[in-house]
Amino acid sequence: MNADKKVVEIHRAGIGKGLLDLFIIAAGFLLILPAMGINRTTDFIIFCVFVLGFNLLYGFMGRLSFGHMLYLGTGAYVITLFTEHISKNPFLATIAGIFAGALIGVILGPIIVRTTGACFALINLAFDQVGYFLVLVAFSKYTGGEDGMSAYFSKMGPIDFGNKSVMFGFALFCLLLTYFLLKKFISSPYGILIKSIKENETRVKFLGYNTFNYKWITFIISTSIAAFAGALSILNYGYVTPSFIDPSRAVEVIFAALIGGSGSLYGAIIGGVVYMSISNYLASYISRWEMFLGIALLICVFRFRSGIWGYVAGKLKTRIAV
Amino acid sequence: MINTIAYGLTIGGILYIISIGLSLTFGTMRIVNFAHGLIYTIGAYLLITTLPFARNNFILGAVIAVIAVIPISYIIERFVVRKLYGISIDYAIIATYAVVLIGVDLIKWIWGASPIPLSDPVGIDVAFFGITIPLYRMIIIILAIVIFVALSIFFKKTMVGKIVVAALEDKDAVRSLGINVDKYFAYIFIIGSSLAALGGVLYAPITSVHPYMGTMVLLISFAVVLVGGLGNIKGTFVSAFVLGMVMSVTGRLWGPAAETMVFVVMGIVLIFKPIEV
Repeated sequence: MNADKKVVEIHRAGIGKGLLDLFIIAAGFLLILPAMGINRTTDFIIFCVFVLGFNLLYGFMGRLSFGHMLYLGTGAYVITLFTEHISKNPFLATIAGIFAGALIGVILGPIIVRTTGACFALINLAFDQVGYFLVLVAFSKYTGGEDGMSAYFSKMGPIDFGNKSVMFGFALFCLLLTYFLLKKFISSPYGILIKSIKENETRVKFLGYNTFNYKWITFIISTSIAAFAGALSILNYGYVTPSFIDPSRAVEVIFAALIGGSGSLYGAIIGGVVYMSISNYLASYISRWEMFLGIALLICVFRFRSGIWGYVAGKLKTRIAV
Repeated sequence: MINTIAYGLTIGGILYIISIGLSLTFGTMRIVNFAHGLIYTIGAYLLITTLPFARNNFILGAVIAVIAVIPISYIIERFVVRKLYGISIDYAIIATYAVVLIGVDLIKWIWGASPIPLSDPVGIDVAFFGITIPLYRMIIIILAIVIFVALSIFFKKTMVGKIVVAALEDKDAVRSLGINVDKYFAYIFIIGSSLAALGGVLYAPITSVHPYMGTMVLLISFAVVLVGGLGNIKGTFVSAFVLGMVMSVTGRLWGPAAETMVFVVMGIVLIFKPIEV
């Protein structure tokens, strides 16, 4: 009886902390809203969803994907094609985008997930290159090739995604939803298992787990979230171009995850915001911003590996300990 | 048809020259070196710079370009790659990619972003079996074979080569014999980089020279290395020519698909032969 009560209390405390996190994130984005303007902030939020999806694979399972743009692009193109050919309902189209992301994860997963380290990074990159080619050249009749294509969404009662504040609210809701689900996922036994796979896969296998299935499912979740971010971008811009699937942009999300601190959900969101601020403002002030990005990446790798959030969390921890 | 084969062999030859360095650094140091593509690009640009000084003598310009790459690759090895030995492979990918970002931006700064065309330095066509092939391409194929033979001898007969082959098998055992493995890794890195620069120099007259020329070649070289096997000198040779043929045949049937087909082949190979790194 007593133990039951304790479990319930712990459970409640967990939910309370989860809600607090959501509140902090929402407040943070509302705070930067006046400084950045509503268009930019929506952009930031959508990018953060993408970083969360990428970080699940990199930060928690320890697999660096160098071609995550493929999954973002899949979501972006599928939502556009869906509105073009099937229905202009924005919610159905978004769900179709997510399913496409999951489907590509299901299909490519068994090939990709068996590899580790460099192989994993490169095979993702290779598939991204194939996808880029398919969109840009092979199916250019349907995708608009280099020019891309527009997507039109119908109004759903009072919800009109052409309205910027509705879009902002919806994007923020989606980010909070993704964060909440990922938080639940990470703190479940399943999440602990994928963290153990990062640390030592052989030992997890010794414990009798079939790591392949776990890796595959995590991969599918990651691709679905990436596709979700892609679908949201199209909902926001109303226009898709091959730059959504361009392999050379893969480094953006890696940099965001690294600077924020991989292996934590807060870190992913901070990294997303910091990266977007740098690329939005730096590119307009400094013409050699690629070099700046390179140097910043080197500093991250050699001196600042835990990222901004890792640094802040470390400081907080020592203060509490003292 | 024979033209397609000759073209495939040319590409295969260049791919071999570029990817052997990548295969060696991958195999010995377990480091994915994205900067390899940068070195390739720098080689081509240095050729453009040295050609006027060498009075348009292609061979002299090429030799100067390849030698000039050595200090650059030493700097990359000493200050970036060496610090990453034994650390997580992801950081190596990110750090060498950062080097590429910096290097490409420097190239744009120094030489400008617009493509620079180069003409065939030999300009003579050889006719046999009723078809004509530029002599330059024949030279590339022969050069690739010469390099393959030279490297095979280097790894079999010389002390440095033997140590590297041993280190490919078991790095720690070699180290416990009192051999400074890192020093030999540096040699291998510089040899591989010089070969990459040579590849850039040789390929420059066939395509145009631009700051991002390294990226696609690097990806294809990775495919060559993964198909041939990491640090496998013979495997790299075979897979370079096979993938060169794949590119040339696909390119003849459907131009834009040539490079993508290489990755499809790589995917198929990886399905049946996954590589644990």
